[in-house]
Parts: sequence; structure tokens; C-alpha cells
Amino acid sequence: MSFTQIARSCSRLAATLAPRRIASGALVQSQASRMMHRIAVPSMTSQLSQKFAVRSYSAKSTIEDIKFRVLKVVSAYDKECSGRWQTQSVRRYSAKPPLSLKLINERVLLVLKLYDKIDPSKLNVESHFINDLGLDSLDHVEVIMAMEDEFGFEIPDSDAEKLLKPADIIKYVADKEDVYE
Amino acid sequence: MAQVPLAIVSHKRQVCSLYKRALRNLEAWYDRRNEFRYRAVQLRARFDENRCKDLGEGTQILACAQKELFETKHFQPRNFANSAGGCAFEREVIPPDWLLDYWHPLEKAQYPEYFAKREQRKKEYVAWWEKQHGKPDPKDLGHH
Repeated sequence: MSFTQIARSCSRLAATLAPRRIASGALVQSQASRMMHRIAVPSMTSQLSQKFAVRSYSAKSTIEDIKFRVLKVVSAYDKECSGRWQTQSVRRYSAKPPLSLKLINERVLLVLKLYDKIDPSKLNVESHFINDLGLDSLDHVEVIMAMEDEFGFEIPDSDAEKLLKPADIIKYVADKEDVYE
Repeated sequence: MAQVPLAIVSHKRQVCSLYKRALRNLEAWYDRRNEFRYRAVQLRARFDENRCKDLGEGTQILACAQKELFETKHFQPRNFANSAGGCAFEREVIPPDWLLDYWHPLEKAQYPEYFAKREQRKKEYVAWWEKQHGKPDPKDLGHH
């Protein structure tokens, strides 16, 4: 008898034994003993038939226990993920996660740091893209496109040509998303 | 009316706009990011090739490029959700601020503090405007 078969027999046995907790009767007893021969452990069979010492794991834990256990895991997960704002654990159907000026600042600077033509050591909020960071106008277009992709709205050309510093972009995004201190 | 230019657009700004539209077009055609990046780098090289040309030649090249972009336009370009052509375009209607001025006085009376502050802010705005642009000529007041 393979392990799978034993497991199946065990589950059938458990299913048969389950109503016995509520109402013990000769019928249930006989069903249980009929199931016994399927388990290939004779010594266990005798033990079971004598005492019916089937351990029920779920009956012991109360709702409070389960709640405590689940909340512990959830809080540990939250603690682990709190630094990473990019992971999306909850599906937001149409709403965006709430923005703050600090978060916009971080995101803008992160996008700029990851852009290969910008030297991260020179970058700060007040540095001019063309004069300080040495980008040309086409690079500036690429930066603006990256910002569009990051924040998910279109920046028209007439506005884009005024956004020459990271601070301008932060202010523009905050205005668009209606974020204020 | 569509053919009438509403503003003079400089050559540089036209090129930048063309570059942006071309990149977005490539993004629509190549949805795999690596393939898109490859094409984008090629496109950038083509733009850089014609960087230091004089204006006459540049204008010609720009016209050719705009024609090429028109011919290779994607049939279903990707749009941002809230921009024209996007799935949520004009979904959320934000009522303009002046609408509050047309509330009935009884309605306004339900929010006395807010409307008192609002009147104060309007007075301050008028003062700021007059400081910025001078007193309006009484002949210019009124619509017609």
C-alpha cells in the first residue's frame, strides 16, 4: 500500500469519524471499524478502535489564536515591505496610492539617478538639466517621457520646456496631482 | 481652421516634439522593452546624425521625418488614461471654482465660515491684480 493510498484511507476514516463527536452510535462505530482494514498498520487499528484517540488539530486553536497568528505574519510582511513603495501587494482598481511631496521627490530623483546620461553624484533637486548636468534637448525630452511613464500622465510640450530642474518637475507633478503640504 | 498655425513654433521645439512622438510611436509598435530600447537607440542615432546641419537643410529633413512618422504611425497607439484617447479621459469632471459663486444664499449660509473666507480671498485677489496690472479703465469694464 502506497503512502497516497494510506493518506486517502486516513481522510476517509476522518470523514467517517467526524460525525461521531456529535452523536456517537453503533452505526458510526461500525463504519469506522469497517474503514480500519484499509490502513495497513494493524497495531494502530487496535489502538484506534479502542480509544478513538484521533487528534483534531483545528479544534484546539480558537479564532483568537488564528487571528493572532495571521496578524503576526501580516505585520512581519508589512515591516519587510515598508521601505519599498514600488511593490504592489494590494490591487488598486483605479485609485493610485496617495502621493506626498516627499514621495514625489524620491521618485523623481530615483528616475533621474537611473538615467544613464546623468551622473548621480552631481544630481540634486536644484541642478539644471542642461547647464549643470550636461544634457541636450533630446535627452531632456527623454527625461520628461520617463517622468510621464513614472507618474502616469501626459506632460504637454509647452509645459515640458519649462521643467528644467528636478524641483520644477516635483512642483509640476504636485500641482497636477493636487498634492500640498 | 486646423491649418492655421496658432503660434510660431521654433525649429528646435518642432524637432523635440517629433522625437517624442517618434519614440511613443516606437513604444506602440514594440511592446517588448528590450526591442523598444534597441529601436529607440537607433532612432536617437538618426537624430544625432543630423544634429549640426544648417537651418534650411534641417527644415527639409524635419519635413521628411514628419512624413515618415505619419506613414509609420501605429494603428492603435497607446495613450495615457487621462489624456485624449485614453480610457479614463474626462471621466472625472472637476467643477470650476466660480460655480461656488452661483450657489443660492441659503446654500451659502450653510457654510458661513468658508464663504466668509472666500469673499476675503476674492478681495485679496482683486487687490493683488490691481497691484500687478494697475486699475482697470472704467470704459473696459463689462463684456461688450
